[in-house]
Amino acid sequence: MPGTVRFVLGDRVVEVSDPDPTTTVLQWLRAQGRTGTKEGCAEGDCGACTVVLGSVDDGRISYRAVNACILFLPMLDGRQLLTVEDLREPRGPLHPVQQALVDHHGSQCGFCTPGFVMSLFAEFHREEGLKDEEGIQDALAGNLCRCTGYRPILDAARRVGAASRADRFAVEEPRMLALLEGLRRDTGLALTGPDGRRWFAPRCLAELQALLDAHPDATLLAGATDVGLWVTKQHRRPDPVVWLGDVAELRRIAQEPDRIVLGAGVSYAAALPVLASRWPAFGALVRRLGSAQIRNSGTIGGNIANASPIGDGMPALIALGARLILNRAGLRRTIPIEDYFLGYRRTALLPGEFLEAVEVPSVPGGTFATYKVSKRRDQDISAVAAGFSVTLEEGVVTEARLAFGGMAEIPKRAAGAEAALVGRPWTLETVAAAMEALGTDFAPLNDMRASAAYRILVARNLLMRFHLESTGQAELLEAADA
Amino acid sequence: MIAKPAIPDVLREPGPGIGKPLSRVDGPLKVTGQARYAAEFNVPGLVHGYIVSSTITKGRITRIDTAAALRRPGVLHVFTHENRPHVAWFDRKWKDEDAPSGSPFRPLYDDRIVHAMQPVALVVAETFEAAREGARLVQVEYEAEPHETDLAARRHEAFTPGKEKGGFEPPPKPRGDPDRALAEAAVKVDVEYVQPTEHHNPMEMHGSTVVYNDDGTLTVHDKTQGAPNSHSWVCSVFGLSKSAVRVISPFVGGAFGSGLRPQHQLFMAVMAALQLKRSVRVELSRPQMFTFGHRPPTIQRVALGAAPDGTLQAMIHEAVQESSQFENYVEIVVNWSGQQYRCDNVRLDYKLARLDVFTPLDMRAPGAATGVPAIEMAMDELAHALRMDPVELRLRNYTDRDPNQDKPFSSKELRACFAQGAERFGWSRRNPQPRSMREGRQLIGWGVASGVWDAMQGQADARATLGIDGHLVVASATADIGTGTYTVMSQIAAGTLGLPIGNVTFKLGDSALPMAPIEGGSWTVSSVGSAVLAACERVRGRLYKLAAKMEGAPLGKAKPADMVLTDGHVALAADPARRVPIAEVMRSGGVLAIEEEARSVPYYVKRAQHTLATHSAVFAEVRVDEDLGTVQVSRIVSAVAAGRIINPKTAGSQVMGGVVMGIGMALEEETFMDHGLGRYMNHDLAEYHVPVNADIGSIDVIFVDEHDEVVNPLGAKGVGEIGIVGVPAAIANAVFHATGVRVRELPITLDKVLAGLSRRSAA
Repeated sequence: MPGTVRFVLGDRVVEVSDPDPTTTVLQWLRAQGRTGTKEGCAEGDCGACTVVLGSVDDGRISYRAVNACILFLPMLDGRQLLTVEDLREPRGPLHPVQQALVDHHGSQCGFCTPGFVMSLFAEFHREEGLKDEEGIQDALAGNLCRCTGYRPILDAARRVGAASRADRFAVEEPRMLALLEGLRRDTGLALTGPDGRRWFAPRCLAELQALLDAHPDATLLAGATDVGLWVTKQHRRPDPVVWLGDVAELRRIAQEPDRIVLGAGVSYAAALPVLASRWPAFGALVRRLGSAQIRNSGTIGGNIANASPIGDGMPALIALGARLILNRAGLRRTIPIEDYFLGYRRTALLPGEFLEAVEVPSVPGGTFATYKVSKRRDQDISAVAAGFSVTLEEGVVTEARLAFGGMAEIPKRAAGAEAALVGRPWTLETVAAAMEALGTDFAPLNDMRASAAYRILVARNLLMRFHLESTGQAELLEAADA
Repeated sequence: MIAKPAIPDVLREPGPGIGKPLSRVDGPLKVTGQARYAAEFNVPGLVHGYIVSSTITKGRITRIDTAAALRRPGVLHVFTHENRPHVAWFDRKWKDEDAPSGSPFRPLYDDRIVHAMQPVALVVAETFEAAREGARLVQVEYEAEPHETDLAARRHEAFTPGKEKGGFEPPPKPRGDPDRALAEAAVKVDVEYVQPTEHHNPMEMHGSTVVYNDDGTLTVHDKTQGAPNSHSWVCSVFGLSKSAVRVISPFVGGAFGSGLRPQHQLFMAVMAALQLKRSVRVELSRPQMFTFGHRPPTIQRVALGAAPDGTLQAMIHEAVQESSQFENYVEIVVNWSGQQYRCDNVRLDYKLARLDVFTPLDMRAPGAATGVPAIEMAMDELAHALRMDPVELRLRNYTDRDPNQDKPFSSKELRACFAQGAERFGWSRRNPQPRSMREGRQLIGWGVASGVWDAMQGQADARATLGIDGHLVVASATADIGTGTYTVMSQIAAGTLGLPIGNVTFKLGDSALPMAPIEGGSWTVSSVGSAVLAACERVRGRLYKLAAKMEGAPLGKAKPADMVLTDGHVALAADPARRVPIAEVMRSGGVLAIEEEARSVPYYVKRAQHTLATHSAVFAEVRVDEDLGTVQVSRIVSAVAAGRIINPKTAGSQVMGGVVMGIGMALEEETFMDHGLGRYMNHDLAEYHVPVNADIGSIDVIFVDEHDEVVNPLGAKGVGEIGIVGVPAAIANAVFHATGVRVRELPITLDKVLAGLSRRSAA
């Protein structure tokens, strides 16, 4: 039934007819009197608004934690929404994650608590969730707490990680699967809000192409981790919005022998295991990209398309020689990713054209690393991000791809430094020359994330570190310096 | 009627409930989302206000056009300085419990703009979305005037404030001849430290929901650290009778000082409710949380001179701090330096500089979190110059009397803090040489610092009502901002009356309850806890009297002094097996409930004869990446002496939270000012960094035994602030030990560290 968003709230189907398309789930919940979900920042930074979305994945319900403050209400269509109020059965005992937080004193003022509860709940339902310290830190990186000092919350997470994962949601899964099956739609959703602004959610590539043909200026929306802020922070009112989250083709991941093809709508969370298995360094970087909530919503395509100068994944993708498949009314073209970024927030995308997929070639024999340097360990925009790849033949560099974020108005390769490497032996002297060349490749900004001098120095140090790591000399240098 | 019992000057031994690591009683409400905060009370017909903020820093509004906003469907009214209702005129009517001297800020009062993002209009609409959209449509024109927001630019025009605010003590008079002593000292340091603006950033943003009742009275749900403070301010500003307003604030999503003064959203919501005769909610956005109150930036000079054996011979500590153009915000910054160390030649100096910013506002350990790190970093620099262990240097100059006032401390177990903290940390294995420890690319350093905070107490009332069903309700208008007030007050009450904790309900956050001061400065256990104890003791006294008069004399001829309360029974102290249930005692006395109200007042005389303070010794381990300059705090041990600990779980968590805020202060927290615009640049949680969980390593909190008969009848000093105080210096000192780089400008960010490292390797 077009015009109506249908989803399961807790265990009941809810229908909302033609809502304001950019009302956030958080605002909607709180206006309903469901105030357990909190607003702390309205931009996906603090996690106080964390809710859990349940969706059908391979015949099972998979739960993921997301930020309700930058999730638009129509994005719930066909899904299950769980908030902190849903976990405890009426008059029943607390859910195990709730009880653990109480017992370990994981709540003080209580305002961040519902968000922690929901992040832990999503992990409770992942078999491998909360099993080790790294997993616990990653799961909770998107939840800020100003009172407890985190240790009591981490203690609670450890207990949850060690406990049995049985709860009533596991018991009720078959019923919920049936309920969600009943909400499935075969054709796209179209909404018109009270002020006439429109929302389209196509189901397939053909529908998407037709929509963009009709509305070439539409705002394309993927995970809303960026566009959400246009609404909550800049008070913009995009119209029409075409949401890509239900376009099946855009969510495909193809692992081929010589390349990985990621649909533009693949979330960072879905891409993480694939990237991590091919390039452990890329996996480590993605774990520090945003937070669990942001990675659950945010897509690789969105991260590329918005052309931020410091999108953390870009230097790695450039270094790996990724190519973008762009689609305009069914006509496809493929370009190297570095050619996509033309200037500050300016891209090679034509009107009516959209990013369909990213293909990342595997580089047999090449050495690759990627780094993120930020003031805060998690949940921080990089001061400098870097992705490096060198290919050697008999110790001589035959190809070098050195890419940086945070050093210019776009993610950019270091042409001078690359030239200083190619054709030369992969030695400390060669690297020293390339480090020197970085000074002419970039003229970074002074800003509150770091000074220009710092950025240049760290860019050089990262290259040095890459060399030392790739040649197993790190120990040597430390001994020499001590 | 309020009874005013004289509290005997002896430390009582409170009952068994006290000292237990009880889980917080409000935990289940919080983990299920049922705890309701100020902006979460929904009533039929509620309308929403959205605040329009000024785009200039200083000047005046020349024109304000609300027509487009008013045309937006759903918008009901736009309040500006041109159409606001009548409000109080005298400055004193705008003062609250925490106001310093000066003219408090008045929202929408006139056309003057005195700080960036000043509220200039309130758009009220049927929905939040319509109000926000309306706010975007309000057009304001300004005539801007030059502003100054840079403390460094005004430091030489600073003035010496007087006693501008309750709780503030100007620095003591100089003693000896510090300049000469410094000049003649064998070893000296003379350095300057800079600390930035910080914002409280509690997770909950400030909000007020004002319910307009049928009879025209207001029920105000406010985010505040003192419902009575908001109540009297609203009544005074709007000329309302006390009975026309009730302020309720059962849960507060953190505050750290931001709720000590009524904020402008409260004014806006009350104004709109009164004029529109509707219930109104006004919530601030996160950027608007940077438009009132902050920890002020400070520049400090610390000069220390010592003999070769480490004996301090000279101490000069001078601070210049920011205040606004309209109020003289002051905090004690330098006084603790003279209190912590024995030294004959001391000059402490504190000045204010006026800038075009909002008035600063107490933030966790105000003053101490600024001044103590400066002296503690300087002591570390001195220890390094002396080639002396920094713990040894502190003990060499340890004092058991407060040299500032020449009084004994009521108790001071700082020596034990150093000993137990050092033991737990493994301090004895420290190589004093900077850069002596590394692991791979990480340089490792160990640092130490001490902390201090005043043990204050205010006057407070509490009421205790014991029902014949054995349920006790205790009430006081205090607040629980996450600190654990509900829990520890319940414990004190349960302990005093020998009841299971489940039989006690504590009520707070309501201006209709017995009076309590604003919750801040770590004085709530001391102030309100003493009142709860007193009220419960009066109930206990009544029970004993009833028991003594019982028919059949089940306790024989026992007098009240021979009785105890345990397990819901009145029993004989000498023979606890002889006991009568409380319900039977009350039934035989013909009472269904026993209600007593009590006021606790500090031991003024004994307090005046002593200096009262909490102390800590903090040990920190950091790991510094020498290629990137990033700092990770891998370990903190904080040993605290704070008198009796009512609940080790809530108290431990308070200290741990303070430690993490201290890590933030050392490494991350800073509100950047664009002096060209006079505006804060990073007014959101993406760029105003508070620590995330991965920034935190192991934190070990130790409470050392400390016995205090002066502080209050509970012997408890309060722990809300002490956790943060020593931490920034311990970390800064550890960073030096790791790297050999001294960063004297907080926070210690990666670019400052790396710049220091490259200067060092160039040298």
